[in-house]
Amino acid sequence: MAAKTPFRVEVLTPEGSCFDGDVVQISTRTKTGSIGILARHQPLLGMLEPTELRLYRSESEILTYAQGEGYIQVSPDGVLVLVEEAHEPGSLDVADLREKLRRASDALASAQAGTEEARRAATDKRRWETFLRIAEGAAA
Amino acid sequence: MSATQRDVKNRIGSVKNIQKITRAMEMVAAARLRRAEQRIEHLRPYAAAIRRMTRQAADAAGTEITGLPIFHEHESEETVALLLVTGDRGLAGAFNSQIIRAGLRAARGLEDDGRTVRYSAVGRRGVSTLTFRGKDPIGRYVGFTDRPSYADAREIAGELVTAYVDGKADRVEIFYNGYISPLTQEVRRETLLPLQQATILEGGDGDDGDASGDDAASGASHHALVEYEPDADEILARLIPDYVEISIYRALLESTASEHGARMTAMRNASENAGELIEDLTLEMNRARQAEITQEIMEVVAGAESLT
Repeated sequence: MAAKTPFRVEVLTPEGSCFDGDVVQISTRTKTGSIGILARHQPLLGMLEPTELRLYRSESEILTYAQGEGYIQVSPDGVLVLVEEAHEPGSLDVADLREKLRRASDALASAQAGTEEARRAATDKRRWETFLRIAEGAAA
Repeated sequence: MSATQRDVKNRIGSVKNIQKITRAMEMVAAARLRRAEQRIEHLRPYAAAIRRMTRQAADAAGTEITGLPIFHEHESEETVALLLVTGDRGLAGAFNSQIIRAGLRAARGLEDDGRTVRYSAVGRRGVSTLTFRGKDPIGRYVGFTDRPSYADAREIAGELVTAYVDGKADRVEIFYNGYISPLTQEVRRETLLPLQQATILEGGDGDDGDASGDDAASGASHHALVEYEPDADEILARLIPDYVEISIYRALLESTASEHGARMTAMRNASENAGELIEDLTLEMNRARQAEITQEIMEVVAGAESLT
């Protein structure tokens, strides 16, 4: 199989740039589902959901991050991934995530359906569940 | 050595110890200040990118963004939420007290106009002072003012936006120490909600930097071909509340930088003060010693004279 064309990707968080370099493929998840991006992808603006972000530096070298909510912008010059959080799986704290998940679940249970409060709690819960899964995957 | 001499010597010793502590605190604050400044720098590219995306999505979206509940001015303004950003620790000059003073003064003004005030506070100092004054803060956010993370800002923004959208507050204001330089901080009072349209559609505070130029050029050429996932309106609906998070995060970072700056200045003054005190005390001790020596010589001379 012919080698894939590399393209530039930058992963930015409010706390600084977390990756900036060439990759051959990105896989992540938008609001509408999982998505894989190769070089020369059609321009896209998408909303990202918490998931495991994979950056393929080559077929065998894959960087993974636990990504929070964010946005992805694909343009002819490269890909820009803007996420609220990006952690290396090894740096996640399982006990801390369990605690956060518990609090989010409690908040969701006590919130009235249809309110902004409920919507926020549901978002938090989904994020911590995803991170917990990634963290436990990394620990196993 | 006489009793006065020993007293003065002890005092010099203790002032020297204090000086060592204040010097160390000054140095720690200086190091942390540099890190806090860097974090403000790190936020810039993210904020600029969010701004660019918002413009792109706003161009493509069919609806006016002003339709979002976060922009709606409530019909009557009965409840105002105030968020006071202080630090977890003291010993930073007027850093904490000036925020609390400004917040309470504003609250008095609002209450005189017949409005209800809901307090929230960041930092142990703010929380404990408000509680002491019987103004129990509803939101208490403590333990991170040395190094606030975006998740902290998201939590605060979440609760404030929720209160606003669900009608528990009709306006949200934030008080924080804006960072100008290590020596200068100013109390800033800003309205967070309803979200000001100006903060989004106009550049304004220098986040854009070089972005606006290439944005105009590239935006026009390929925006018709861009695929939106999900549609632009939905993306826009989530991008806009991010401004509240970013504003709060920036305020937290600036407040942290200001706190370290204020502490550095306060501790430098304390060290200088200790230095002066040591000089004065040393002088006093020398004088006491000289007086004692003179006294002894007088006694010796008097004794010798009585023999002859």
